[in-house]
Amino acid sequence: MDWTISITDILKEVTTMTDTPITNTAGKSRISERVKHPFRVIMEKEISDHVSGWRFIILAAIIALTCLGALYTALTNISQAVKPNDPEGTFFFLKLFTVSDGTMPSFMVFISFLGPLLGIGLGFDAINSEHNRGTLSRILSQPIHRDYIINAKFTAAIAVISVMLMSLCLMVMGAGLTMLGIPPTAEEFVRMVLFILLGILYVAFWLNLAILFSVLFRQPATAALSAIAVWLFFTVFYPLIVSLITKSIEPPATATPSQLVAFEQFRLALLRVMPNQLFSEATTTLLMPSVRSLGPLTMEQLIGALPGPLPLGQSLLLVWPHVTGLAAGTIISFVISYVLFMRREIRPR
Amino acid sequence: MSPLKKLTAIFFILSCGIIAGVNAIAAETDSILLYTPFTKISVPPGESIDYTIDVINNGTELEKLDLSVTNLPRGWNYTLKSGAWNVRQVAVLPGEKKSLSLRVEVPFQVNKGNYRIYLVAGEGHTLPLTVNISEQGTYRTEFTTRQANMEGHAGSSFNYSADLQNRTAEAQTYALRGEVPRGWTITFRANGKQVTSVDVEANSTVNVTIEIKPAEQVEEGTYAIPVRAVSGSSSGELKLEAVITGTYRIELSTPSGLLSSDIVAGRGKKIDLVVKNTGTSILSDVQLTHAAPANWEVTFEPKKIESILAGRQENVTVTISADKKAIPGDYVTNLEARTPETSSKASFRMSVKTPMLWGWIGVLIIAAGIAAIWYLFRKYGRR
Repeated sequence: MDWTISITDILKEVTTMTDTPITNTAGKSRISERVKHPFRVIMEKEISDHVSGWRFIILAAIIALTCLGALYTALTNISQAVKPNDPEGTFFFLKLFTVSDGTMPSFMVFISFLGPLLGIGLGFDAINSEHNRGTLSRILSQPIHRDYIINAKFTAAIAVISVMLMSLCLMVMGAGLTMLGIPPTAEEFVRMVLFILLGILYVAFWLNLAILFSVLFRQPATAALSAIAVWLFFTVFYPLIVSLITKSIEPPATATPSQLVAFEQFRLALLRVMPNQLFSEATTTLLMPSVRSLGPLTMEQLIGALPGPLPLGQSLLLVWPHVTGLAAGTIISFVISYVLFMRREIRPR
Repeated sequence: MSPLKKLTAIFFILSCGIIAGVNAIAAETDSILLYTPFTKISVPPGESIDYTIDVINNGTELEKLDLSVTNLPRGWNYTLKSGAWNVRQVAVLPGEKKSLSLRVEVPFQVNKGNYRIYLVAGEGHTLPLTVNISEQGTYRTEFTTRQANMEGHAGSSFNYSADLQNRTAEAQTYALRGEVPRGWTITFRANGKQVTSVDVEANSTVNVTIEIKPAEQVEEGTYAIPVRAVSGSSSGELKLEAVITGTYRIELSTPSGLLSSDIVAGRGKKIDLVVKNTGTSILSDVQLTHAAPANWEVTFEPKKIESILAGRQENVTVTISADKKAIPGDYVTNLEARTPETSSKASFRMSVKTPMLWGWIGVLIIAAGIAAIWYLFRKYGRR
């Protein structure tokens, strides 16, 4: 098969699809002798669309500005945050991500709040807009595998998000390094990297959910609204429902400790259906090494316990269920959207 | 009557007359009478005696009398006073009397016995006074204690109470010094303060407390500690005795000295311990006890050690089992080796780790998800 010809054809299609002039990438690939894999071509095109599009710029600007605000409050309050005999005293640098004076949420909270918006924003029109413009069938008429489209859309969006989150975190680290003059230790650095990876996983979940809606609904607006509805449901309404349920079955103060523990575990299990709950618990554990448990504790478990930071492996083991849950949610929504997309009949208009 | 008899009678009469005449002269000159009530006084060396002496004029004329004390042994002093003045001569009107006070100072260095001194007034008027020195006099310092021997174990301190008595004529400044073995400490206290020298007035006593602390690594035995109080002209010595009984010391540790360990929640961990007798006596009945977090199990093997000789050690294995519900992180477990005499505690920092089981299950779930995607890729992807 003559790959060069087919690629240039795809590129033509892609450029017409997005109504933008032929980019440098296209020119280069035409000149260069190396043949690119079609998946990569679609992905690069998607990335360039995202990066140059207003939507991403606005979303990134919102997140960057709020995170800068959070960084500022953290830097002004970090001197009060370190107390003598603090078991986290050796993890000074991590406080950049968690400290706040109450007027402005910390960096960690902002990521958990605005991350979903970023994922939804980049994913809600992934398939349906192509469909509506009739470009989908034209791409598919090219000799490429059909799943390259949905895979490349997902990969491109996640790559953009990863770069953005990574650079934001590195910016925070750099600013902290400049202002504090204390370099992070190796463990702190690894914890920060894990925090970024967790953030990417979290945003990937919302991205996949948005892609799922973009496959389900023909109208991008419907997809966007339903994705935001899910997000709002989990951030606002679900906690209210949980508190309603738990209030109705709350055991009396005279209940036995085992009953209280069981109730608390039930309440936490309900809350942990929320992806943002999973994310905030996991990031808290990673960024505050003194967190030793995420569930209810009995006094028996605390007798003889010494306050101290957990080793990284143990912190990771503690949040491993959360990571698994987030990864499972991501995979499930991806699988559903994949299957739906692959089974769909796509006809040219 | 024989002439011899006559002679004898005449001699008798004459001698009687002479005696009567002599007596008459004495009575005439004894118009001055020196009087004091206590003419024989017994004192220890270093004391002074105050006499009150009345000079009585029984005559009809005014008497002027020079006063002096004679036969005073060497080193003794006297002063004769009336009121505030030293008196050398006294004049007494007829039929009146004058009171004088005589102070005789007995030195410290004086032999035991009777001494007779005379107060002489004018010519021929003397008052003999006898001073009895009750004991052999000295000129020295006395440093004494009622209890020179004390017993205690190595960790205790020995407090001796001693009296420093200055039995010289002058005030003395005594430097206090004790000869203790190396590593021991000795401190002197006088008047509630820690001192190295002490001032003692002549013929007075100062109480000195001597505190002796044995060296840390002292061996059993009796230690003689000479203590001296030395001034420029005199010194006193005291021999103290400290009897050190055996010391009881025990040490609980691990062979490497490391007192931390990892433990997986719900599982046990064996740790080797060493019980050392670092004292100087034999330790018997060493009990091993523990204070662990709730629901933790600690068992020693053996549970009890019969005896450990001085300087020896015994190995013990302890098995610590963490609670199943223990949260990850550090817990403290206290182990203790105890005898009635002494004890030693070792605080173990146990880092609890959670079992990896759930971690692997999470990995499996994610792997299953990825496998599902892979399956879908194979099934649908390559159309």
